[in-house]
Amino acid sequence: MRVIRHVIPVLITGLLCTARLCAQDSNGAIGGKVTDGTTQQPIADVTIAITGTSHSVLSKSDGTFLLSGLGSGVQHVRVTRIGYSPVTQDVTVNAGGVTSVDFAMQPQAAILDPVVATGYGRQRREAITGSVSTVDATSANKGVKTNVDQLLQGRAAGVEVTQNGGEPGSGVQVLIRGGSSLSASNDPLYVVDGVPINNVQTEPDATGIGGAPALARNPLNLLNPSDIASITVLKDASATAIYGSRASNGVVLIETKQGQAGANGPSFEYDGYAATSSPLRRLDVLNGAEYRTFVQDQVTKGNLPSSHLAALGPANTNWEDAITRAAVSHSHNLAFNGGSEDTHYRVSLNYAKEQGVTLSSALERIQGRISATHSDLDNRLRIGVNVTTSRVNNTYLTYEGGFGGFEGGVFQNVATFNPTQPITVTDSTGTHYYEIGGTSTRNPVALANQITNLGQTNRTLANSSVEFDLRPGLTARVNVGLDHANGQRQEYYPAANPVGVALGGGLARVAGLDNSTQTFQSQLNYQTTFGDRNSVDFVGGYEYSKFKDNSVTAQGIGFFTDAFSFNNLNAAQTRTDYSYAEESRLVSFFGRANFGYQDRVFVTGVLRYDGSSKFAVGHKWAAFPGLSASWNLKQESFMQNTPFSDFKIRLGWGLQGNPGVGPYTSLITLAGSTGATYPFGDSPQGGVLAASNGNPNLKWEQTSQVDGAIDFGIFHNRVSGSIEYYHKNTKDLLLTITVPQPALQPTQLLNVGKLSGHGLEAALDAVVVSKPGLIWRAGLVFAADRTVVDELTAPGAFIETGSVSGQGQSNQFSERLMPGQPIGTFFGPVFTGWDAQGHQLFKCTSATPGCTNGQTVGGGGPSAADYQVIGHANPDFTLGVHSDATWGRFDISFLVRAAVGQDVFNNTALVYSTKSDALQDKNFLRPALTDPTGIHEPAIFSSRWVEGASFVRLQNITVGYDLNLPVLTRSARNARIYVSADNLFLLTGYSGLDPEVFTEGGLGTLGEDYLTYPRPRTITGGLRLTF
Amino acid sequence: MNRLFRVSIGAAGLASLLLALGCTNLDENPPSLITPGNFFRNAAEVQAGLAGVYAQLRTIAPEGNIYDVSEITTDEEVVPTRGSDWYDNGQWIDLHNMTWTPTSAATSNFFNGVWNNPYQGVANTNLFLAAIQNANIAGKAALIAEARVLRAYYYYVLMDFFGGVAIDTTTSVALEARNTRREVFDFIEAQLLAARPDLPATRPQSESGRVTQGVVDAILANMYLNAGVFTKDGAAGGISGTAYNSCSGITVSGGDACTQAIARATSVINSGNYKLADSFPQSFRYDNAASQENIFVVKFIPADGLGMGDVMSVLHYSQFNPTPWNGFAMLAQTYQTFDPADKRRQVVLQGPQVNVDPQAANFNQPVNDRAGNPLVFTESIPDIHSATEGEGPRIYKWPADPAHVQQNNGNDYALFRLGEMYLIKAEAELASGDAASALVDLNTLRARTDPVAAPLVGTVDQTTILNERLFELLGEGKRRQDLIRFGQYTGRDDSASGIAGGKVSQGDFHVLMPIPQAQIDANPKLVQNPGY
Repeated sequence: MRVIRHVIPVLITGLLCTARLCAQDSNGAIGGKVTDGTTQQPIADVTIAITGTSHSVLSKSDGTFLLSGLGSGVQHVRVTRIGYSPVTQDVTVNAGGVTSVDFAMQPQAAILDPVVATGYGRQRREAITGSVSTVDATSANKGVKTNVDQLLQGRAAGVEVTQNGGEPGSGVQVLIRGGSSLSASNDPLYVVDGVPINNVQTEPDATGIGGAPALARNPLNLLNPSDIASITVLKDASATAIYGSRASNGVVLIETKQGQAGANGPSFEYDGYAATSSPLRRLDVLNGAEYRTFVQDQVTKGNLPSSHLAALGPANTNWEDAITRAAVSHSHNLAFNGGSEDTHYRVSLNYAKEQGVTLSSALERIQGRISATHSDLDNRLRIGVNVTTSRVNNTYLTYEGGFGGFEGGVFQNVATFNPTQPITVTDSTGTHYYEIGGTSTRNPVALANQITNLGQTNRTLANSSVEFDLRPGLTARVNVGLDHANGQRQEYYPAANPVGVALGGGLARVAGLDNSTQTFQSQLNYQTTFGDRNSVDFVGGYEYSKFKDNSVTAQGIGFFTDAFSFNNLNAAQTRTDYSYAEESRLVSFFGRANFGYQDRVFVTGVLRYDGSSKFAVGHKWAAFPGLSASWNLKQESFMQNTPFSDFKIRLGWGLQGNPGVGPYTSLITLAGSTGATYPFGDSPQGGVLAASNGNPNLKWEQTSQVDGAIDFGIFHNRVSGSIEYYHKNTKDLLLTITVPQPALQPTQLLNVGKLSGHGLEAALDAVVVSKPGLIWRAGLVFAADRTVVDELTAPGAFIETGSVSGQGQSNQFSERLMPGQPIGTFFGPVFTGWDAQGHQLFKCTSATPGCTNGQTVGGGGPSAADYQVIGHANPDFTLGVHSDATWGRFDISFLVRAAVGQDVFNNTALVYSTKSDALQDKNFLRPALTDPTGIHEPAIFSSRWVEGASFVRLQNITVGYDLNLPVLTRSARNARIYVSADNLFLLTGYSGLDPEVFTEGGLGTLGEDYLTYPRPRTITGGLRLTF
Repeated sequence: MNRLFRVSIGAAGLASLLLALGCTNLDENPPSLITPGNFFRNAAEVQAGLAGVYAQLRTIAPEGNIYDVSEITTDEEVVPTRGSDWYDNGQWIDLHNMTWTPTSAATSNFFNGVWNNPYQGVANTNLFLAAIQNANIAGKAALIAEARVLRAYYYYVLMDFFGGVAIDTTTSVALEARNTRREVFDFIEAQLLAARPDLPATRPQSESGRVTQGVVDAILANMYLNAGVFTKDGAAGGISGTAYNSCSGITVSGGDACTQAIARATSVINSGNYKLADSFPQSFRYDNAASQENIFVVKFIPADGLGMGDVMSVLHYSQFNPTPWNGFAMLAQTYQTFDPADKRRQVVLQGPQVNVDPQAANFNQPVNDRAGNPLVFTESIPDIHSATEGEGPRIYKWPADPAHVQQNNGNDYALFRLGEMYLIKAEAELASGDAASALVDLNTLRARTDPVAAPLVGTVDQTTILNERLFELLGEGKRRQDLIRFGQYTGRDDSASGIAGGKVSQGDFHVLMPIPQAQIDANPKLVQNPGY
């Protein structure tokens, strides 16, 4: 926080006044000017400081500065500014005189703040000993960005962000260093302005009618990306250990923009854009004419009964066109920023509306934010308040994600609905949607338009902090946070739609979910320097968090009219209501000490002691230590005459935990439910059954990690980068596994098994060109992670994951977790080809009945004994390349992302690339037309459907122009227009909709592609004005 | 001012320190769940616990794994792959063709369920029995007896499918080795005999479905009849895969197993509490709660989650609403075993079909298949891997309830009914050498008020008995047990039904199911059944 940034020098001053510096006569000064070494232009806001003291000053808009009150003698002067390489110089100060010095600064490759958030405090970048990636929010906020996670995509090494589809505001899977858990959460911990966020779903699930419910939207949609100043990702255990039990998946520290007292008074900023989106790729299904020809041909050949001709309609409908659209989005931000010397404020307001590329999907956000800081008592007391409140209105496409089950989903019917039939028909009763009737065959346009599925979330995130300097260098801080989210879901399946009929003549459902988190933090910080640039920085504190959630759902079935929609459940024939409530608490004590020796060697030790109510009695508390060190070799004499302007070696080790399980899982609990109800006589007797076996030994999942890294800069940091290697081991995995019987439930949550992983990350930034009028920076992030299951319950034991979706695929799994194999290992039969009758053939061994010449015979199908590893869902490596160039008043930037070597199971192709759909008058994907598969052949999961899915994606390209129009510059300080394109092209050999797939069900399942919401290509035009 | 601030900050710091020390309580008190420690305090709560123990019985009825295995591993039913429907990882064909292994598709789905479902019943009963000790309520002995009978029945199911399993009457989750099948048999028998005196002979209508003395007798009669199988650990333990496994010569509590089977069946028949239904369908209809023939049932009512859903797996898509799944079919060979004049064959749907949903506008009207042709269920299925939607007759014994809620019908599913008692008695009599009495009992069963078939004449032999059981108990989940007892389970061959890709003769060890490998992984003390 800015407060702290202001405070640290002051603290140091106070402390040092007791030491030798203040004891001297301070009557000398240094004055001069700072310029850009390339453009020769003056630079404002440069910090000119005396190393090891609190003396510092900012340069003015003409680049000049005067730093007075210095002792006579040689002073170490350090000149720093974001985006420039720091300059240090020894200057001799004469008592009573002003020594004149000018500084020329060189642009630096990476745009990095010299002060870094580290959790419960900030540190100078040099003092960082752990693995930390920083993302500058301004340069990442290009194109249409709805939430914080999108800012991280491709910009932080080892942080993989996958959106669950192209739906507006959709949820994301964020994996830092490949994740560390199989069934507990793999989400990182998000900390906003120092307050950890309980990153849980804020809107209730929709009904799972005949399939899984629609995916939830991203809980972080609350935050407006334009309000974010910086994002810091803590990756290794030594950096994250300060967050202890919640840190095993990494920590994302988000700092929001704070008010500034501008030299020219308050400023006012408008930032807005309008965008249009369309689907990037499409499902390749037969068109009406092709389908008609196919059916006629099959009837002629005698493969289909002639009655199927009657099912052919007169139309030629492209169902995908019918449910997709060119979507329009726009966003408007207003920010007001200002203050006096002691009081700063920033107020912002955002309105954003994003339309999805399919019908009936959209997101609307109205969000407001106030932040204010005040300092008093000669800056010894500092108070800060941040309040963000938002309203998000979601419109959901019913059965988004395609999980339509037996009732049929929108995307499922886009693939299968007969293309020779029209969208609507007109008869004597008027115009209505054409429906074929029958299981899971529904007009997708009617589904999208007739079924209502809405969600709203109100969320307020507030925190208030008070800091007081008890004595110089010693600061007490209290921070209180409140996070309250109230989400609603409203659905209506009208009787006008066949799904509504099948559900009992109209189904209405209203659900509410209320989440709240209260956080209290108190901490003490102590900072001091002594001797020749030696420093100590200590943080100790206590944190208490209470999490509560409760939910109410009311459902009615059977309405005599569709007119009420979900607004009059009393009119339903039958009603079902549910409610639940739960609560958990987390109590922590933490401490961190950082020692610096001559700015050469830094050592950090961390200890956190966490207690969570979720674990069993006697296992609720655990300690999480971390230890790390760095050695800045550049300070050593042997590095003086090398091209290296920076060279740092870091080593770290730490333990982290994962409590990502629900409350009460250690207890045997009894639940009253329909499953426990039994008729005594002819009336139901409400009953109870054990909902869980409990586990009196339930404890933390624990990850230990070692990290080694080199940070370097060459040619005055015109090229800089870091290379990191890590190795991590997770033990006591929280796994729900088969339990010895008799037991109250077939499975139990146990701490079993081990996982290990190692990986390499590299980041490289360079100033490619720097000359007057043109500066071009480019950067690259690279990551490779290998995570392997080391141990499960028993030798040879495996866990089946990755349920295959679709008709005829019950109890078929596509993946296995097995010792010695990575997570995301596809396991199944090996496809070898077809026989003359169109039967698929599979590899087998002679030991299997019906195996001839190593292949199955006829329609016998594969045998479980012949299953083997048929692919891996993890990429060999991922890459992000970003480039920013400014040329005169133009700026151009782009971001390219790539992942190489991973496989994806194309579940969509398995189920819909099958001609046997025509037996039910359903359409199928075009490749099936030409493959030799027989029309009666079932869809069988095999290696045939596991495809290479390497890709290169142009994530974003933006061209901006700095307007310097007299009509504007008279009042506006700054004006910029830009055009931006997201997802402009995708290079991949993968045949499905998109090689980047989001898979539900935790880390245990990866790389499954089934009827995802199409990812859009978006073109944005925007304007930014500052007055 | 400065001092005041310092004092107040100091006070605030002290306050937060106190708060820190005060807020370390991490006890859990679930607001919307119950823990055993705060439950079972009064009669109503005990009643709710008992209902939960009964609710596990639903896993034994149709639409559950236990029923699927009882039917589909035999010549009664098959689930062929129908185009893109019903392939399901090959599990249905693995189950029918008896090609299963400890890790194959049938095992990981069906046998795993057959293992877990009754064991969950056992565990919930154990929890109930432990908790009721602390309840201060009237009639405790009868409630304990009732729960013990249910637990004995859950063990009976485990013993039937897997042989010897671990006997555990405690509430802790522990690694335990298997008992022998004989030990499990003796445990069940002892528990049932001990509970019987505490149970009522009959129940009022408001308690129908709950355990009585008749239930104990029926289970014992069945166990004694199967004693030649149930006391032996698989084929390796002496069960014959080709010859009749007689109860004769097996000693149980009270003497010879056949004699005891006759005694227990007779006890039910002569109790005066049961009578054969006037017509055969009465015991299966939606209103069969009123049938006096049913002894031990899984109770169903037409309410969400509480009804019988057999309609879904059996019926064609166009015969019912919600749309059924069109899966389970009967084998031609078995269908043809029936005398067309036998009224009991009428539970099989074959030939042109109608809508059977009493709530449908076109109830009893002819329906079409999905291609628009009139729906006809054929007698035969030419290829198990590639069936069409109309192939195979359907066993439709529990017809739709006019008051059904979605797929929930109110037909009770009888685990034991009086008809079977006559069959047990007849078979045990034949095994004891009294064929004449057996003929009398079989004819009693045929001669309902509305007779199902002409009286049998001539000499009763084992084939007569097995066929009569097929005719009477078709679809009631008894065929697997019967075929094993008669030594015809593993050798059965589908070619007699003309079904390509169907079952061929398999090893005799298949009379016991494999213990799923996942269960052995969870409990290494479990030793796999021989042969697997």
